[in-house]
Amino acid sequence: MNKLRHVGKPYVRIDGKEKISGATRYTEDIEFGPNLHYVAIVESSEAHAKILKLDVSEAKKYPGVVGVFTAQDFPYKFGLYMKDRFIFAMDTVKYVGQQIAAVVARDVKTAKRAAKLIKVEYEPLTAIFDQMESIKETVPRIHPKLGEYEHVPWFFPQANTNIAHWRKTRRGDVVKGFDEADFVLEDTYTVPRYAHCPLETHAAVGLCDLSDRLTIWASSQSPHTQRNLFAESLAPLGFSHKDIRVIAPPIGGGFGGKAGVSMEILAAAIATKVKGNPVKIIWSREQEFYNTSQRLGVKAKIKIGVKNDGTFTAIDHKLYWDTGASAEYGANVVNAVGLSAIGPYRFQNISIDSVCLYTNLPPCGAYRGFGYSEFMFGLESHITRIADHLKIDPVEIRKKNAIKENDILAYGVKMNPNGLIKCIDEVAKEIEWNKKVTSNDPNKEVGKGFSLIWKAPAMPPNASSAAFLKFSEDGSVNILVSGMDMGQGYLTVMAQIAAEILAVPITKIRTETPDTDRNPYEWQTVASHVTWSCGNAVRKAAIDAREQIFDVVARTLYLPKDMLFLEDESVKCRTKPDFKLPLKDFVINGIQAEDFSFKGGPIMGHGIFMPEFASANSDPETSQGGHPNVHYTVGAAAITMSIDKESGEMHVLKAVEAIDVGKAINPSLVKGQITGGLLQGLATVLYEDMRFNDKGKMLNPNFTDYKIPTSKDVPDEIVPIIVEVPQPDGPFGARGVGEHTMIPAAPMIANAVKDALGVRIKSMPITKEKVALANLKKGELNAKTF
Amino acid sequence: MGIINDFEYKKPKNIKEALQLLAEKRGKSKILAGGTDLIVYLKEELLKTELVIDLKGIEELNNIKVEKDKVIIGAGVTFTELIESQEIQKKLPILWEACKKVASVGIRNRATLAGNICSAVPSIDSAPALLVYDAEIVVQNATEKKNVSIHNWFTGPKKTILASDEIVISINIPLSKHTGGYEKLGRYQGEDLAQAGIGILVDSVKNYRFASCAVGPVPKRLYKLEEYLQGKEINEEILAKAGDIISDEISPISDIRSSAEYRTHMMKVMFNRGFKKALTSMKGGRL
Amino acid sequence: MKQITFKLNNEIRSIYVEPEEILLDVLREKLGVKSPKCGCDRGDCGACAVLLDGRSVRSCLVLAIEVDGHEIVTVEGISQAGLTKVQQSMLDNNAFQCGFCAPGIVVTTTELLEHNPRPTMEEIKEALSGNLCRCSGYLPILESVQHVVEEADNE
Repeated sequence: MNKLRHVGKPYVRIDGKEKISGATRYTEDIEFGPNLHYVAIVESSEAHAKILKLDVSEAKKYPGVVGVFTAQDFPYKFGLYMKDRFIFAMDTVKYVGQQIAAVVARDVKTAKRAAKLIKVEYEPLTAIFDQMESIKETVPRIHPKLGEYEHVPWFFPQANTNIAHWRKTRRGDVVKGFDEADFVLEDTYTVPRYAHCPLETHAAVGLCDLSDRLTIWASSQSPHTQRNLFAESLAPLGFSHKDIRVIAPPIGGGFGGKAGVSMEILAAAIATKVKGNPVKIIWSREQEFYNTSQRLGVKAKIKIGVKNDGTFTAIDHKLYWDTGASAEYGANVVNAVGLSAIGPYRFQNISIDSVCLYTNLPPCGAYRGFGYSEFMFGLESHITRIADHLKIDPVEIRKKNAIKENDILAYGVKMNPNGLIKCIDEVAKEIEWNKKVTSNDPNKEVGKGFSLIWKAPAMPPNASSAAFLKFSEDGSVNILVSGMDMGQGYLTVMAQIAAEILAVPITKIRTETPDTDRNPYEWQTVASHVTWSCGNAVRKAAIDAREQIFDVVARTLYLPKDMLFLEDESVKCRTKPDFKLPLKDFVINGIQAEDFSFKGGPIMGHGIFMPEFASANSDPETSQGGHPNVHYTVGAAAITMSIDKESGEMHVLKAVEAIDVGKAINPSLVKGQITGGLLQGLATVLYEDMRFNDKGKMLNPNFTDYKIPTSKDVPDEIVPIIVEVPQPDGPFGARGVGEHTMIPAAPMIANAVKDALGVRIKSMPITKEKVALANLKKGELNAKTF
Repeated sequence: MGIINDFEYKKPKNIKEALQLLAEKRGKSKILAGGTDLIVYLKEELLKTELVIDLKGIEELNNIKVEKDKVIIGAGVTFTELIESQEIQKKLPILWEACKKVASVGIRNRATLAGNICSAVPSIDSAPALLVYDAEIVVQNATEKKNVSIHNWFTGPKKTILASDEIVISINIPLSKHTGGYEKLGRYQGEDLAQAGIGILVDSVKNYRFASCAVGPVPKRLYKLEEYLQGKEINEEILAKAGDIISDEISPISDIRSSAEYRTHMMKVMFNRGFKKALTSMKGGRL
Repeated sequence: MKQITFKLNNEIRSIYVEPEEILLDVLREKLGVKSPKCGCDRGDCGACAVLLDGRSVRSCLVLAIEVDGHEIVTVEGISQAGLTKVQQSMLDNNAFQCGFCAPGIVVTTTELLEHNPRPTMEEIKEALSGNLCRCSGYLPILESVQHVVEEADNE
């Protein structure tokens, strides 16, 4: 490969100035004029109940109310992978906060006042709040018609149960594997639900004009997927895809919570009933917590067999997930883990059961890490415990079993090239793994914790990306794509990829935010896949444009096409060193030929990418036979942490995280992902803690009591390490990194607490309270665990 | 978003005018100082009112006055003003430390000490300092002006002795030679409501005063603890015994923020550490 | 409705408001000043921070009517003569990701450096601790502020 000029440079993000000057217009900042209507939502106060009566008459009569809408107006189901949700609760409510009715008015105050006049009568049904209850034979079925739901072919809902999906993976012979083991450790780890907490809550505006053109502006990671789901769901009203346009302005954070469809469907549906008027819905912070999606909770039973020399012989991993009242997105988290719960390790004998269970809590879905943070907490805790038992260094046991290129994955496909061992070595060196650190403060102990990182994009096998790229008169470039920059720097990375191929500086490139009318298809901005997938599409689009450039130059100026190249915004020729034709001279208006006519015209490239090797079809009993994951990104991380023995307060002195990103298109942005993701991960383990009462109502849907970190809660030092073992099918070798950064946080903390205090905590969060009280009771605890 | 119930807004220029408005709308008006609690309550419909009386137009409430034997903190004085006052830092170090632990800058720039004690949430950071200082609240209604001891002020969670026709004019704190601090338990380093808090005052003749917040329905002095430690030369054995007294004297609850068990444990830890720190900083204090 | 008059980003503005209207909503909906954001609506997150007479306040906890006769400055005002040093430093350091918290953080930082031009790292952390950011992990933001302080020290 030639020397790279733009890829690999730590450029300032191209949307940086608009963000720092307050110029960015998020969905809620867009002006819609004096006809804008507002919506207030009536929500269920019950976790599980029949709706006996829904009386909206008083609200309809309230002065200034434009309309009141309920399930009767929209008896339509929707869902990303499984259609198990209604737009408004239909006959029964399944969680506290579920939307039952919407009141539309010209101002918020009127809508909210009228909403209070709506009366709902319920007949309570038995509610289930624990997935281990939900799996029992005797409990009520939350979705009695589960067997009839439409779903993707790789889901296996069990009719007449609360099991929305059960992913089974089997390889080798686990019985034999455990027989061969010198030591078998079996235990259970618990991870509760978490909230994404983007600073910008969900927002959507719908406008159905009088010609039945439906436009939705939404704070969204998934504009095209939303358009598809709106079109499917509203098809009975006569809408097709071409009638629906989703515009996604920059978003104020997503973290998976703005993937798929949740409240946006309200804006789409309601707009069709108040034609000609834009309808705005902004979720309050409270609604953001309980009525979008949450991260799934899980109870994971892990059994691992190991030889005395530290070689793993078998793994049996059973995971029971709480997906809440809907599994339309959550079941895919469960699916992803069911294929990958071996971690970045070489196992010959594998049994995984990943079971998705309905409960009467808010629906769960995608959250940065997509199930991997959850199962890695148990797995990486478990492996350190095994190492401790065998008196093998926890880093050494990981290296010994670390997965290598061409090792066979749980579903029978070969592992991609990777720098896992290098990541482990670099982290161990930077954290000075073998050096014991002590505190000068007699109240404090210092511990170290280590964890590996592992994740594949979880996507349908035919998830694709597309890009258009067009020049303007001055040789500047607009890239049209439909991925979302939610902060990770996607717009900048796409610009760098195009800059590299077209020899145009990124100061002359804009990457446009999604608009399904104008920009080509993107599946979703999830799964840490857009750098890889959309990056490939942009790369192809740039190559396409370059071909058009070379073609017109070659045929008009009689130059050998294969000798042409781009440099300094110009076309040059290897065989004619004096030749230099600036792009701006012809990329719109063409090149004048000898006869004074013009050849060429506007240069516009297009590119698409679909991983044509992927397949989700496999044996439902073993998951063998398909190629469900496109590749894995791996890494390692470690912390040094001081713990106050009395208060339990934990302070991260140093954190190191190394990730093999294949190729860092922009190292500054990769480092930003590591710093931000790591702190988000640390927060989930140290203090974020979602509380529900015994009626299923969330007790802390606010930042007063759901604590996300502040500037005072940062580690003293974070050392990001970039490892680059190229991904063969990635743009310039790149693969994704966004989610991976938070995955090691929880097990690192658990392992460091054990190292410092000798206390093993097996349930998240690991709050200072939990640590302090466990430390007080250390004597009795130690008898039970190690 | 927004407040859905209407109200009137008045901004009196003097106390008399304010008291008149209060009397006219007795029980149906609310006093607005910093607004950092009131506006939240109005938005979330935790309370309704017909009239909001903004005290920020009353100049005389906005001063900190240091007299020979006391400091007078006007009802309009914000936490930021207290933190930035060198007099407060020097003369009332326990209050100064507590003010710095209230919420965050954007709130402290607006919220007032008087508003804090009128909101009277059990986790109130400023109360332990005021309790160990034996602060007096100057209260006025249309007919009289009176001093209320801080010890009689808090009557329950979010409840005070202040009547609906009364306004807090100032908080008066007697001056004495002392040192001490305020120890606060939060879930992390950032802004948090106290899950337990203890104010500690030590003087040169082994007078010790302690007061708690967030470990009972109201913040209060820990008299039994004081009585036990009064005049004593402190050693580890005495501190251990004192810890037991604290457990008896407080009545924490378990809620979503913390368990009663952890609150109790941490009150002992914070007492122990804070007291030692105070003793060390007080000349002659030995341990 | 009552008429209020106040200085907004160096310009005198007069508008009619209801007593219960919130400053944040009035700035955004009636005056077209969109940089203050609503992140929590109860004073927890700092995304709505504006300068009121030079001090940062939560505009979600201020009645619009309270600012009659006062001065409000938002990021639009702060950036009027181009980016400030600290904004430039944050830009150069890729300090923000989604950027939703950026206006509030710029406001709070501006106030800090106005009152304390040489803050220590601890003071920077304390000042910014009321501004929540979910993306950055804060360190790039803190480093950007520290960088400006160091530059000033070197001058």
